[in-house]
Amino acid sequence: MTSTSRPIRLLILGLGNLLCGDDGLGAAAIVRLKARYEIPDGVSVLDGGTLGLALLPYLEDAEKAILVDAIRTDDPPGSHVRLDGDDIGPAVASRLSPHQVGVADLLDAARWRGRLPDVLVLLGLVPKTLELGLHRSPRVEAQVPELIRRIVEEARGLGFTLTLRRDDEALAAPGSLDIARALGL
Amino acid sequence: MTHVVVDPVTRIEGHLRIEAEVDGGFVKDAWSSSTMFRGIELILKGRDPRDAWAFTQRICGVCTTVHAIASIRAVENAVGAVPPPNARLLRNLIIGSQCVQDHVIHFYHLHALDWVDIVSALSADPAKTSALAESISDWPLSSAKYFASVRDRIKGFVERGQLGPFANAYWGHPAYALPPEANLMAVAHYLEALDWQRDVIKMHAILGGKNPHLQSFLVGGMATPIDPDRQASINAGTIAELKGLAARARDFVTKVYIPDLLAVASFYKSWAGYGGGVGNYLVYGEYPEDDAAKPALFLPPGVIRKRDLSKVEAFDPAKITEHIKHSWYEYAGGDDQALHPSKGETRPKYTGPNPPYERLDTAAKYSWLKSPRYDGEPMEVGPLARMLVAYGSGHARVKELVGAVLKKLGVGPEALFSTLGRVAARGIETQILAEKMGDWIDQLAANMARRELRIHDNSKWEPSSWPKDCTGAGFHEAPRGALGHWVHIKDGVIANYQCVVPSTWNAGPRDAQGRRGPYEEALLGTPVADPTKPIEILRTVHSFDPCMACGVHVLDASQRKLAEVRVV
Repeated sequence: MTSTSRPIRLLILGLGNLLCGDDGLGAAAIVRLKARYEIPDGVSVLDGGTLGLALLPYLEDAEKAILVDAIRTDDPPGSHVRLDGDDIGPAVASRLSPHQVGVADLLDAARWRGRLPDVLVLLGLVPKTLELGLHRSPRVEAQVPELIRRIVEEARGLGFTLTLRRDDEALAAPGSLDIARALGL
Repeated sequence: MTHVVVDPVTRIEGHLRIEAEVDGGFVKDAWSSSTMFRGIELILKGRDPRDAWAFTQRICGVCTTVHAIASIRAVENAVGAVPPPNARLLRNLIIGSQCVQDHVIHFYHLHALDWVDIVSALSADPAKTSALAESISDWPLSSAKYFASVRDRIKGFVERGQLGPFANAYWGHPAYALPPEANLMAVAHYLEALDWQRDVIKMHAILGGKNPHLQSFLVGGMATPIDPDRQASINAGTIAELKGLAARARDFVTKVYIPDLLAVASFYKSWAGYGGGVGNYLVYGEYPEDDAAKPALFLPPGVIRKRDLSKVEAFDPAKITEHIKHSWYEYAGGDDQALHPSKGETRPKYTGPNPPYERLDTAAKYSWLKSPRYDGEPMEVGPLARMLVAYGSGHARVKELVGAVLKKLGVGPEALFSTLGRVAARGIETQILAEKMGDWIDQLAANMARRELRIHDNSKWEPSSWPKDCTGAGFHEAPRGALGHWVHIKDGVIANYQCVVPSTWNAGPRDAQGRRGPYEEALLGTPVADPTKPIEILRTVHSFDPCMACGVHVLDASQRKLAEVRVV
């Protein structure tokens, strides 16, 4: 597949489980991003949850992609992480034999098929707690606005301008049945 | 005696851990533990029951639709909402396509590497692979040139160390039995399956309004509009599109998945002698075919005990209980109690070792899963249970396909009660559902033609129309097996909520009477050639399609070792 035939010019993909504390920070950030910013044509903002391989068609349809997720490093919880290109693969690789689906599998599958986006960036935060719960830990929550700012900045660097909505539009933004609405985000 | 620990059994950290005693090359005893606490029940208390599905949909990482279905059914059962025929058909299509997709991806992505050796595929002869592929199917992608290109692609990834999804399996393990050509064919079809799943996902996008998480579920029906005269709804155009997608899904199942399954199974017939398990099977039943209070179900409910296919008992929801004697919970009435889920309690009490630890104290509590029992007995749930109950109930198409598979493999019906039987039953079910989808689409089209466009029962939408205090149960056959949600609604909000998920039935620990759960029982007698590479244990556990249903998946940039197999 050549880049020109890819229908999504920029995919912003939030990942993680909204029910598991900081694990859901990527998905939560995406929902807020959508509520607060006007998304230009060609940009697709998706809450990918924990769907793994089922996200492959979206990833492979994208020329460029920004993944947003919780990511562990040696830095303290709430630290910002940015990885790009070939650094993402090793960072998400695990050393197991069993074959459960996950983000690593998603990227690997696209690579195996020669359909990784031309530009791939991962933005995220180091999580503190992954325990069951609808809310982010305070240290992580405090950094979510900055994470959103970095997503907007990254998109701008890739040639896409997300503009802040007027307040009244922001209030009406999330879909009525979305769990995000249910979570009061 | 060697003590083997596999943790985790899935790549998702903290999900599933198996400890096994291996003696003389065989598993003598086994313990299954989930080391991660779930507790969606606690999150739901006090919420609007009409929103519960949106939360439960996120319980599971991969099959998002299943908890939504069980949840809306439970609430409908409690408040008395009756979804109209179109909602039933839309749900059947969503459930069926989810199941077809899940089974195919399980076979190629999660389970194949237990049987398929990718390194061996590198030495395959493309011409011979082409001959093999053409001998078992008329699927068009079968030329020597095609298989050569796949082999070269694999070679490139192996050379660059980018094995990706295939990294770190037990390559070269003596338990692998396929010739190189069968290995190459299976890898090629794994890559094709990833393309194929696009079609199934497209079906969900049409039926579910929004993807990747479907948003069209609604207590009392569905929110997918059906209107031949409108664009953004199910109309003649989308019906035609659905039919095309369903036909393509069926084509791949019939011409690729089933032939591959039979080809792989023919090299692993000894696995018809391992992995039998508890021999009791429970099915809630699925795919309502009419709109009666107790509808006929395409895949029937029932209970089979002690492998006796001649007697299928009626399923009685009152006979379900959960034990916690070996689970990290407490019951107000004491740990020897067995509670029905409608009276279920979720009171976590961790008494296990602090991580990291070598071994669990399996004489005490050792899992976050409870132990569900039916009429006091452990029960296996899932595709094998469904196919056995359908077979025993006289389901004509199931009997026909089971008979054909047994004949093709040259084995008797006793082979069904095994690891291989579980793998085969999943394939048979996929074929049956892939064939059935077209019927449901036709019925939807017929309803539309006679202007039957209702999708929702509004009469029970407002909480003022509900009883002040009511309870309900929602039953569903998820890809992995029988799933039940129980809800207690008081003054319009959720007072109690309990889920009993398929993997709890299958992966739960011992009960108050010390009886093993299905995984634990199935592992007895499993051969283990090398305790440091217990691929045989994985074969049997993976044959159940384990999913510990939480989906925490934090990426690991520090290269911390995420899982290990230890001999302690």
